[in-house]
Amino acid sequence: MRQRSLALFVLLLLFWMVISAEWDLQHIVAGILVALVSIWFWYDLGSRQPHVLPARKMLRLGYSLVLLVGWVIQANIAVAKTLLFSRPPAKPMLLMMQPNLNSNWGRVLFATCITITPGTVTIDVDPETGRFIVHALTQETGIDLLYWRLIDEIVQLETKMER
Amino acid sequence: MIKWIAYSCFFGSFLAFGLGALGLFRFPDPYTRMHAVGMGDTLGMGLLGFGLFLLSPSWILRLKLVAVLLLFWTINPTMTHMVAKASLIQGIKPAAETSLKEG
Repeated sequence: MRQRSLALFVLLLLFWMVISAEWDLQHIVAGILVALVSIWFWYDLGSRQPHVLPARKMLRLGYSLVLLVGWVIQANIAVAKTLLFSRPPAKPMLLMMQPNLNSNWGRVLFATCITITPGTVTIDVDPETGRFIVHALTQETGIDLLYWRLIDEIVQLETKMER
Repeated sequence: MIKWIAYSCFFGSFLAFGLGALGLFRFPDPYTRMHAVGMGDTLGMGLLGFGLFLLSPSWILRLKLVAVLLLFWTINPTMTHMVAKASLIQGIKPAAETSLKEG
C-alpha cells in the first residue's frame, strides 16, 4: 500500500512538473502539496489499485501499448474503408463476450483498449461476471475481437500481479 | 524536411477528422457514428500531436504535448463508453441491420 502511494505520488508530481510553466521553488512546493493532498483524498482507492509492476513487466506493458498503437492505426484504416467503400456503409454487430479476465483493472484496461480502437466500442461491462457488451462496426471486426492477442497479454499481466 | 513531415501529419489529421465528420452523415445510428468520430479522436489527434511535437521549439513543450495526448487517449474512450451506455439505458435502438452474437 505504501509502495503504491509512493509510486502514485511520484507520478502525480512528475505530471505537475511537466504541466507547470516554470520549475521554481513555488511550483515545486505547490506540486508536492497538491500530490500529497490528492493521495490523502483518494487513499481509500489505494487498496484497489494494482501493485507496482516490476521493471520487466513494465517493459512488457509498454510493448503491449506499442502493439496497441499499431492496431489502432490498422483499425482507423479499416473504418475509413468501410465508410468510403462499403454498401450499405456498415453491418454492425452487438457482441456479448466473456474474456478470461479476473481483475477489475484488467477489465477496465481491456474495455478502454476496445473503445480506443475505432470500429469497436465497449457499451457495458458486468463487474460480477466480467461479461462485455461490445458494439462492432462490422461483423469481421467483432469476430476478430474474440481472438484479440491483447486479451492474452492482459491475462499474463494479471497472473503476475495477483494479490 | 521535418517541417514537411509535420505538414503531412497535419494533412493526415485533417483527413481523419474529415472522414469522421462524413461518417456522422453516412452511418445509420449513434453507435456506428461513434466509430467514425473515433477516427478523429485517435488517429486525427495522434497525427496532430505528432506534427506539433516535431515543430515544438523545446523538449518541455514536447513533454507537455505527450502528457496532453496521453490524457486525451485515456479520457476519450471513457467518455465514448459513457455516451454508448447512456444511449443503451435511454433505449436508443441500434440500426435494424445490427446482428447479435454471443461470444
